[in-house]
Amino acid sequence: MRHAGLALLSIVGAALVPFATRALIGDDDYWLQVLIWVMFFAYLSAAWNLIGGFAGQYSIGHAGLLGIGAYTSSLLYVHAGVSPWLGMLAGGCLAAVVGGAIGYPCFRLRGAFFSLVTIAFAEMLRVGTELTDSLFGLPINGVRGFLLPVAGSRPADFQFVGKRGYYYVMLGLLVIILTVGWLVKRSRLGYYLAAIRDDEDAAAALGVRPARAKLLAMVLSSFFTAIGGTFYAQLIGFITPTRTMSLDFSVQMVVMPVLGGIGTVLGPLWGALVLVPIGEVTRALWSGSLQGVHLIIYGALLMLVILKWPQGIDPWLRGLIARRRETPVAAQPILGDAPLVTAHASPDGGEALLRVDGLSRSFGGAVGVRELSFEVAPGEVVGIIGANGAGKTTVFNLITGALAADGGDVWFAGRRLGRESPDARNRLGIARTFQIVRPFIGLTALENVMVAALPRAASVAEARREAGRWLAFAGLGHRAGVIASGLSTGERKRLELARALATRPRLLLLDEVTGGVDQRSLPGLVRLMQGIRAEGLTLLVIEHNLRVVTALADRLVVLHLGEKIREGPPQAVVTDPAVVDVYVGATVARG
Amino acid sequence: MRGLAQAATSGLLIGAVYGLIALGLNIVFGTMRVVNFAQGTLLMAGMFLTYWLWELGGVHPYISPLVTVPLLFGLGFAIQHLFVSPLLARERAREPMSVLLLTLGLALVLENVALLFFSADFKTVTTDVSMQTFKTAGLIVSVPRLVGLGAMIATSLGLYLFFMHTDLGRAVRATGQDREVARLMGINDFRIYGVAYGLSAAMMGIAAAVLVPFFYIHPGVGTSFLLKAFVIVVLGGLGSMPGAALGGLLVGVIEGAVALWVQAAVAQIVLFAVFVAILFVRPAGLLGVERR
Repeated sequence: MRHAGLALLSIVGAALVPFATRALIGDDDYWLQVLIWVMFFAYLSAAWNLIGGFAGQYSIGHAGLLGIGAYTSSLLYVHAGVSPWLGMLAGGCLAAVVGGAIGYPCFRLRGAFFSLVTIAFAEMLRVGTELTDSLFGLPINGVRGFLLPVAGSRPADFQFVGKRGYYYVMLGLLVIILTVGWLVKRSRLGYYLAAIRDDEDAAAALGVRPARAKLLAMVLSSFFTAIGGTFYAQLIGFITPTRTMSLDFSVQMVVMPVLGGIGTVLGPLWGALVLVPIGEVTRALWSGSLQGVHLIIYGALLMLVILKWPQGIDPWLRGLIARRRETPVAAQPILGDAPLVTAHASPDGGEALLRVDGLSRSFGGAVGVRELSFEVAPGEVVGIIGANGAGKTTVFNLITGALAADGGDVWFAGRRLGRESPDARNRLGIARTFQIVRPFIGLTALENVMVAALPRAASVAEARREAGRWLAFAGLGHRAGVIASGLSTGERKRLELARALATRPRLLLLDEVTGGVDQRSLPGLVRLMQGIRAEGLTLLVIEHNLRVVTALADRLVVLHLGEKIREGPPQAVVTDPAVVDVYVGATVARG
Repeated sequence: MRGLAQAATSGLLIGAVYGLIALGLNIVFGTMRVVNFAQGTLLMAGMFLTYWLWELGGVHPYISPLVTVPLLFGLGFAIQHLFVSPLLARERAREPMSVLLLTLGLALVLENVALLFFSADFKTVTTDVSMQTFKTAGLIVSVPRLVGLGAMIATSLGLYLFFMHTDLGRAVRATGQDREVARLMGINDFRIYGVAYGLSAAMMGIAAAVLVPFFYIHPGVGTSFLLKAFVIVVLGGLGSMPGAALGGLLVGVIEGAVALWVQAAVAQIVLFAVFVAILFVRPAGLLGVERR
């Protein structure tokens, strides 16, 4: 509440600025103009931040979207008499479609590709516009651009005399975009994006659809960027492709949020507050060959922030204003209605829950897994053991769809899995943990688990409750508000278990839960796994620690160089000379 | 038809230079999964170096790589060592995205520092070859552009031999495939990254040498070529070296042929259409490999 009050106070304060400048310096609009630029760049940066910051997908071609907005509304205004207020929405929608279309193919690939495509797109759009004199009969004058007719004071046509009108419009737009950012951040989408930014594969393994979340963020970001373009056109009254679609704009939209605090709601505002005045001052002082001085400062600050201060200004400012409050969820002991793991693990009439049939995968010339077959019955706990490089984790990657098989089938709950992606397979009921834990390091422990609960929850609030219960189940209830990067290895393992369980799996794949954990954390983790087992959940367990796995599993599968060499009850398997030979190593066995 | 063939030939020749720059981008990307925004700046630096060698020392641009290539290699190695390596050491992600922003900052600084010192004036180097052309099969061929094509072919061949047949080249490829495993095999990944970055910078010395006799030199020149190279890399395939060469020639021919045949605007539209089509049909690019 205190924050909302503060925000309201700032808005009212900002709204009074034009009166203050009029009182102090008469009708000199210079300072108002500077403030408009600060807000304008804060607005654009905040729009960029929706995809670049929240989702970690760095677009370097947002100026292209800005240009789409500027040209759409201006052409509609000049040639069809459509008010720019409407043209603004049209441009926004067009940019949303275009942004979605360039994002869609990229989001199935990885990060850097998106940056390249966006910059290539903006560049081609700029050059194309520069060379085009008319489009469908509409004169757009190529590189010369065009002037918008000056109609005097006509608020209905987005035209004001003096700067005050534009100041208020921009203030309104800024409030809107910051509110949108704040709402997105707290929404389902916001949690998905934060998880994707930290670790896309881990997010997909929890049932989050990464491509869809990124696409949605890109569409939103494109829409609002184009609206900024209309504002720019109306303010300047003159647009050229060289300016509106310039690399300069694209780069500034990146630099400001990064400096301010990438992925934070207010970071773009801080970045613009610092950088725009620097640009104004240097431009006022120097010109000619010194015209690029502010860009040198921008570039140097960008490098400095990335190298020394990757969090940007925002966290530091927060620290100044108030000590960070811990999320209060930590105090709630919720074991009273501890979740029933079994609720989802209903047996399918005696049929195997998981059946792996002749599964093969090689990497170049190296065999990962060859002709592997085994079954896991509902409620059963099966352990996979084998030396390093035996193909254990490859089996998990094949079952979860992180890797595509060269041959063979995976059947789950009576259904043959084909090209389902990891997130689709998770939604079918397959969850996993990773050998090297992959927490979303920017989120709190509770938020980590919320990401897993959200795809199945009706609301964010419900996911939060659900996540709290799973955290408590995993013995991490007291650490709910801690940022995941501050958790110990043992705690991270518990977090990963809680996350996997929160997806309500029917089959849980545990990859070396006890690996890399210190001796003191070990008994607790083993107890936790036994607790999960006691609930009747079907488990497939990779485990190096033979004592742990023989106590936990009903049956063991032994892999050696990608092939199954033994399968059976734990005691029989681990005493089998052939197993001892490959697993422990011949020398040790002899010794 | 002759006009078209003529335009295609000119396009092909300038496309070769585009390809050279795209190749540099792909070496860095293929090795450390980093998009290097400073690539264009390195080209600009190479062009200014070549210009001064000519102005102050009378060194012919085609001789200048003897000086510029080692210098740029050193510069690239230093940039990698000073700025990129600390970030790579911190970021364990497979595609360290913050490096992209870092090189963007570096490009901003270097380009505008160049503007500060050298002004935005266009400089030219007029050598004996600058205006030379010859006629073959009815086509007029510009000599400096033909040299550009030759340089691209020679450089590609040299790179191919380096990557396939030397231990260092194999080490670079291995590191590109899996940094962790390469390190376990005793490869010093940071030294390899330095080599890759230096190599891609050094190539800009060659690109500069072939460009300078027929192209303007100014602080923004690198960025304009870089933006083209980005289009090429997306078309040809991110990280694919044959893709870079092919994409460069393709873009050159589309620009040259369609521009002369119809008009420049149409060439851009055709390019854009090809770009979008490839994006949807083969998002990884013509010769790119989709990694999963």
